[in-house]
Amino acid sequence: MSLKDLLSPFFVWQRAFEKPWTNMRPIEERPGAPAYRGFHINLADSCIGCGSCHTICQNEAIDMVPVEEFSGRPGDSGLRPRFDYGRCCWCALCVDICTANSLHMSNEYTWLARDPTDYHFTAGVEEKPWQDSELGYHRAEGYHLYPPKRIDMDMLTADESVQSFDEVVNGYSEEQAKLEADRCVECGICVATCPAHMDVPDYIRSIRDGDFETGLQLMYRTNPFPATCGRICTHRCEEVCPVGITGQPIAIRWLKRFIVDQVDSIDYARILDSEIIENGHKVAVIGAGPGGLSAAYYLRKKGYSVTVYESQETGGGMLRYGVPSYRLPDDALDKDIDYIISVGVDIRYNTIIGKDVMFEDLLGEYDAIFLSTGLSVPSSMRINGEDHPRVLSGLQVLADVARGKDPGIGRKVAVIGGGNVAMDAARVSRRLGADVDILYRRRISEMPADPEEIKESQEEKCNLVEKAIPVEIMDTGSKKQVTIKWGEAEMVQDPKGGRPRPVLQEDRMHTETYDCIISAIGQGSNLDFITPAVQEQLAIEWGKFTPGEYQRSELEKIFVGGDVANRTADAISAIEDGHHAARGIDRFLKPGAYAEN
Amino acid sequence: MNTLLDRLATDFGIYDISDRKPAITTLKVEKQQAERLIRELRDREGYTHLNFITCIDYIEQGIFTLVYMLHNYGDKSTLGVEVDIDRENAEMTSIHTLWAQAWTYQRELREMFGINFPGSPRQEEDFCLEGWDDIPPMRREFNTKTYSTETFGHREGRVSEDPREHMKAQLYPTRGGDN
Ligand SMILES: Cc1cc2nc3c(=O)[nH]c(=O)nc-3n(C[C@H](O)[C@H](O)[C@H](O)COP(=O)(O)OP(=O)(O)OC[C@H]3O[C@@H](n4cnc5c(N)ncnc54)[C@H](O)[C@@H]3O)c2cc1C
Repeated sequence: MSLKDLLSPFFVWQRAFEKPWTNMRPIEERPGAPAYRGFHINLADSCIGCGSCHTICQNEAIDMVPVEEFSGRPGDSGLRPRFDYGRCCWCALCVDICTANSLHMSNEYTWLARDPTDYHFTAGVEEKPWQDSELGYHRAEGYHLYPPKRIDMDMLTADESVQSFDEVVNGYSEEQAKLEADRCVECGICVATCPAHMDVPDYIRSIRDGDFETGLQLMYRTNPFPATCGRICTHRCEEVCPVGITGQPIAIRWLKRFIVDQVDSIDYARILDSEIIENGHKVAVIGAGPGGLSAAYYLRKKGYSVTVYESQETGGGMLRYGVPSYRLPDDALDKDIDYIISVGVDIRYNTIIGKDVMFEDLLGEYDAIFLSTGLSVPSSMRINGEDHPRVLSGLQVLADVARGKDPGIGRKVAVIGGGNVAMDAARVSRRLGADVDILYRRRISEMPADPEEIKESQEEKCNLVEKAIPVEIMDTGSKKQVTIKWGEAEMVQDPKGGRPRPVLQEDRMHTETYDCIISAIGQGSNLDFITPAVQEQLAIEWGKFTPGEYQRSELEKIFVGGDVANRTADAISAIEDGHHAARGIDRFLKPGAYAEN
Repeated sequence: MNTLLDRLATDFGIYDISDRKPAITTLKVEKQQAERLIRELRDREGYTHLNFITCIDYIEQGIFTLVYMLHNYGDKSTLGVEVDIDRENAEMTSIHTLWAQAWTYQRELREMFGINFPGSPRQEEDFCLEGWDDIPPMRREFNTKTYSTETFGHREGRVSEDPREHMKAQLYPTRGGDN
């Protein structure tokens, strides 16, 4: 053993008393650069769980996991991103794509844990010290991985549109549609909001792929009125579209229309037809509106023999006699209805149930009945003089125009109401050459009409008078005119916290003479065709049904839907009611097919 | 700057000139003119510093755009010289003779995009992807997701739910397409 070996332990020991060369941890604070891409921050309350972060992550570092407190929020999947830091490479694509702009990265980059499974967390849900950090990586203002603005729709100008009943919206070209479709992040949040739960992301993808036939097939899975809905749907899907949070929502409705417009109706049978296996059951449908025809279509597809009874001379219900042709041209509606008829649905027009055919007879003759008779009775304004011959109902004016009949409104018109029917009646009146005042009892911002309708009415120079309460209708002595007395309203807070109420100001009254007054303040049902004995067994409140599961009424054979059985009173809800009733009738008449196995 | 650009347009046929940011101008030049232009900018116009060389993959057009970022310390201006080259058998003149450090960038571009710079030192050696056995990963046909799925294992017990399916199960189980 050398002397060095002998002494070395002492040299080592000697070091023990020196100042150490190594440093204790923590050395000193070394914050990440201000825009460093460190640990994730999610503002879980703003996040809507669209999963775009998950989809874009090239390392599969993000899972979407259910978080109880967010479950059931409208336009929110109830899921939140969970990060696996064993796989994250800090590229920040997840932050860049985040539709809600809720995902950020802090500049924090140190996290010590003994258990490696700890590096796996649901940002914004599990407490982490960096959650409130302001520094770190944020998507730059105005920077988007997809164009935030929608492709403009080509439309007639207001000057042009009031000249005729031509369709106002021109529809996308293929190039425009593809660009618009390209903005979709395919999250599918909209599917839950759509009353019919249409396969929106899938049919949008079919546009990107240029495969419109697949697009059409996808739409018919849930909606046999795509040409119609592609034009006039209330498009609640667009209200929840995540792309709309920091930009403009995908023009889902126009894209739907685009697909239908690409396919010739001659090709429908080849693309859509499937073998119908007759099952021997017979179902009657009352009403050939969207609710009735949707039920008829899906029942027929399931092999039922379906007869639709319709009091009018043609099908479509309010889509035909309410919605004006500049929004929904007849040929678009016919494209939908003709295909429904082509699969073997038998429609008996000009047949009023309760008069030409009795309801009880249907009950006896058919295995089940679906009833979707809509709302056809204009609501009363409940003011004196309302029955004046120059007071017309919005529904009547629209129906006349739809039938090519002159409703005789004159040159100066007041429309009473603030819903879509009022807007339609007003815009139709403009096209017939009248000057139009729209009187609405609340503020414009509270109008139930679609904001686009309100905007377009104004562009077409309808004069919106808000906070105007009709008080009395008076005769002028002329057969061609009528006077209305209306008072200004003040909005008064509801002490119970409801929405503010308009209160008539007796000292601020106006009288004005018009060629006619069009009342469009709502509509109710007419269920007189149902015999009293049957009515008694049905829970009808305020003229409306309260259906149970699968749209079933209190009587097991009778299923109900559409405007007369829902609160939303729009086409897409009626379509889903009809489809859902078809599911229910199938379960009722073929219980064996659904028995739990 | 404008007189310079005018002259370069005449002498080298530069085109697509655009001011990206204050004091950063980019221009395009044909591949055959590129080395001569860059040399001129370095030797005559004060662009003595090579900031970096990088590349953008325009797979749809079948080209790579090389960007040579040059800096002039005199007027603090920066010029981005852009050169389109074919993606197929991508090759470009080496400029390590102008700036020695250029070989580092060129070696990186070879590794990440598969671009060849004949004569550039140590071209064949791994740069930062030791043992890489796939196509160059910055080429856009490289599928990062597939690669990571196939290459890296998954942590036990991870599950992810699809937003749409989750909402259907929670909110409308009896409705929608297949019902
Ligand atoms: C002016 C106006 C504009 C509208 N705009 C839009 C819009 O832009 N977007 C939208 O989504 N929705 C809109 N709607 C609402 C939409 O039209 C309705 O929600 C939809 O038509 C309801 O369908 P339904 O099947 O319930 O009833 P309806 O469409 O009303 O159809 C009922 C059918 O039953 C028939 N019927 C009734 N009683 C009998 C009987 N005893 N015997 C035989 N047949 C009978 C009727 O003749 C009618 O054809 C609008 C409605 C109106 C009035």
